[in-house]
Amino acid sequence: MSALTAGLVVGQALPELALPLDRTTIVATAIASQDFEDVHHDPGKANDRGTPDIFMSINSTNGFLDRYVTDLFGPATRIRKVALRLGVPNFPGDTMTFSGSVAEVTDAAVTLKVAGHNARGAHVTATVTLDQPVPNPQNVGGIQ
Amino acid sequence: MEELEARFGEFVGEVAEPPRVARYAVNEAMIRNWVEAHDDLNPVYVDVEAARATGRADVICPPAMVTTWVMQGYRRWRQVQALRADGVQEDHAYSRLLALLDEHGFTSVVATAQEQEYVRELTPGTRVTCHFTIEDISPIKRTGLGNGCFITLRKRYVDQADQLLVDEKFVILRFDPTTKEPAA
Repeated sequence: MSALTAGLVVGQALPELALPLDRTTIVATAIASQDFEDVHHDPGKANDRGTPDIFMSINSTNGFLDRYVTDLFGPATRIRKVALRLGVPNFPGDTMTFSGSVAEVTDAAVTLKVAGHNARGAHVTATVTLDQPVPNPQNVGGIQ
Repeated sequence: MEELEARFGEFVGEVAEPPRVARYAVNEAMIRNWVEAHDDLNPVYVDVEAARATGRADVICPPAMVTTWVMQGYRRWRQVQALRADGVQEDHAYSRLLALLDEHGFTSVVATAQEQEYVRELTPGTRVTCHFTIEDISPIKRTGLGNGCFITLRKRYVDQADQLLVDEKFVILRFDPTTKEPAA
């Protein structure tokens, strides 16, 4: 039982995190990832492409997922795998609330089911696999 | 539509486009901008001492940020948009596929799913190259956004020593927004 997995029980709920998202959040995260697609910053062009407003990019959603998980499990956490599906978009003015539960615990790894909902439904559902803290610097990047 | 779908086989399994080589190495400034935009206070992204306290050699790049390093940059993005507006297609399998879909009205795109397996953590100095292949193209389907097809891209991110960093499957829906049915 590692420091990461100690005390975790399958089915255990994770604390929620509510993230109010404004227009600046959606634009700033898209541009920070060098994503210039107009649907992430230009409301008129987003309309032309069939959506009522600009919406959050998948990379930004993925970034907020990382934040949710590592805030809960600590800076030593290593995210091994994220499999996510997008549902309803995140628009300016939405609040996305992350919730989740522990799906699997092994000696060294934890698998979580995580979802981020806004008022219209699930924006993202994901399976996230974490493993234990990096044991020593020589192994950084080399643990298989 | 069947005529279009019959052509999808030409693209499946093909290298989507030439490898994307990062324009610069993984660096602390880009990481800091990214974590600030996400209001992520995990210190391992910005504080080398905090990173070392977790057993790492240096600060790391947030896992979800891997895609950022191989984005083409603003100038190149403008050029690609201008080429597309002029109907000029580059001779790569992926740009030919998108041009074919454009011709049939499937002009809009949303990402629908992504799987990333993080094999190695990225640290400053890492130079990322991404190899893209077209793994699958679904038949044209009715979706809530309109008619469209799902395209699965496989992306393998490697470092300067050709070691695998991240293995990704990325699914987008390419759709025709004029075929969206009004909400009931």
